[in-house]
Amino acid sequence: MQPLANITPLKPAARAGAVQLAGVGQIYETSGQDVVAVSDVSLEVRPGRFVVLVGPSGCGKSSLLMMMAGLRPQTSGTILINGASIDVPDPNRVGVVFQEPSLFPWLTAEENVEFPLTLRGVSRKDRRIKAEEALQLVGLDSFGKRHPHELSGGMKQRVSIARGLVQDPPVLLMDEPFAALDEQTRMTMGDELLRIWAATGKTIIFVTHSLTEAVYLADEVVVMSARPGRIVDRLDVALPRPRTFEMLSGDAFGSLRDRIWRHIRKSA
Amino acid sequence: MSGTLGIKAARIAIVLAVFALWEALSRAGIVNPRLLPSASETFAMLGELLQRASVRNDLVVTASEVATAFVLAVPIGTLIGFLIAENRYFAEVVKPLLFFAFSIPKSIFLPMFILVFGVGFSEKVGFGFFSTIFIVIMSTTTAVESVKVEHLTVARSYGATAAQTAFRVYLPSMLPVLLEALRISMIFNLTGVILAEMYASRDGIGHQIATWGENFQMKQLLAGVLMIGAIAMIFNELVRWVETRCSHWRT
Repeated sequence: MQPLANITPLKPAARAGAVQLAGVGQIYETSGQDVVAVSDVSLEVRPGRFVVLVGPSGCGKSSLLMMMAGLRPQTSGTILINGASIDVPDPNRVGVVFQEPSLFPWLTAEENVEFPLTLRGVSRKDRRIKAEEALQLVGLDSFGKRHPHELSGGMKQRVSIARGLVQDPPVLLMDEPFAALDEQTRMTMGDELLRIWAATGKTIIFVTHSLTEAVYLADEVVVMSARPGRIVDRLDVALPRPRTFEMLSGDAFGSLRDRIWRHIRKSA
Repeated sequence: MSGTLGIKAARIAIVLAVFALWEALSRAGIVNPRLLPSASETFAMLGELLQRASVRNDLVVTASEVATAFVLAVPIGTLIGFLIAENRYFAEVVKPLLFFAFSIPKSIFLPMFILVFGVGFSEKVGFGFFSTIFIVIMSTTTAVESVKVEHLTVARSYGATAAQTAFRVYLPSMLPVLLEALRISMIFNLTGVILAEMYASRDGIGHQIATWGENFQMKQLLAGVLMIGAIAMIFNELVRWVETRCSHWRT
């Protein structure tokens, strides 16, 4: 793991993509009743930005992410990734990192990272090179031959991130990726993610329950309300980068977190 | 078989002790040697039986019945199990019914098989198939349920086709459970076929065992028991060996 001081500067030529949501809504039917999961969400994310979605349980933030991944269709509105709509999953434009357990336990770490390339019929040799690069990026280059059950929770999520990045997609979507980890690992993984983000310059959209995590990671925090899920606030996090542990106890940090908390308490 | 050297040695010691006890009980006359011929005599008889053309023929008959019933029951049962598990509505409707059917001892249907098929190859295969298919169906539904939704979502998010999802997610997820099912199905299958042979038959090793029993030929009977026991164990261990190789990632 690289210490924070050695952060690779953001690469200007990095492949990053814009995400545009306009009037996105989702209604699903359950026992004959229509439930509005997401209502009229419009959001524009510039390339290379780190945006975090927060909100109470059931506010549709994960649904929104699944729609951006092309895994679930929206009932209304448009979603553009890199200027084109996304109706089916497109791993060339979007990489997804899920909550655990999403690694295939019968494959090694390396083979898990290679999985998206295997599906596309990339040759074994090229796959291996790409997977090694991706594992190196997440600091796991010497763990490629291990199976998931031989890795810690944090390591597993790093493999997941490597898998999400292996095809060099301009946008990385992360659905509560650190929710199952313990507090300490979670903090370390946050720093790791920021380092990876700085090194790759990807656009990241990140869903979390943790307000601290949201403020710590984000350029911008998008706060959603519960049923129907809609955007109630957008906060620019003006804290300098690299973010440090000391900022967590600072006034600027605290007031941002309080502002988010007030929204969530109101809507929950 | 797993275990350290000490554990393995203990296992071998227990097996040897059982045979030694058997030998001693019979030789010392503690148990009537006519009811329990000694282990050494039984093994000698086993060697002799394996030389006999008629016994070999019986083994071939039984093996072909077992194999036919098995290659019919496993794919058909797997297919039915898969279709049931893949359709949620159908699964909810049918699964309890299958459990009811599974709880009934299959042996009570044997006379019906004889009436329908007559005594012969198709009756044995039919009954073997019938004894096996329920466990195959039930194991397959369990295997399908062992496929994690998260894994399917991952495959979908990376653009997997239906065939890729089947071979790269379903199959490896299900393999350990399927292999276990294969092993257990064979136990049911073998029991079914041999029972059918013992009940009414003109040939087959089950028929031989029943005849030896009726004629009070204890040496032959025990040798037959050893023979079938050994065959069943060898098959079981072979599949278990494949199982451990395929499911090393299971924790």
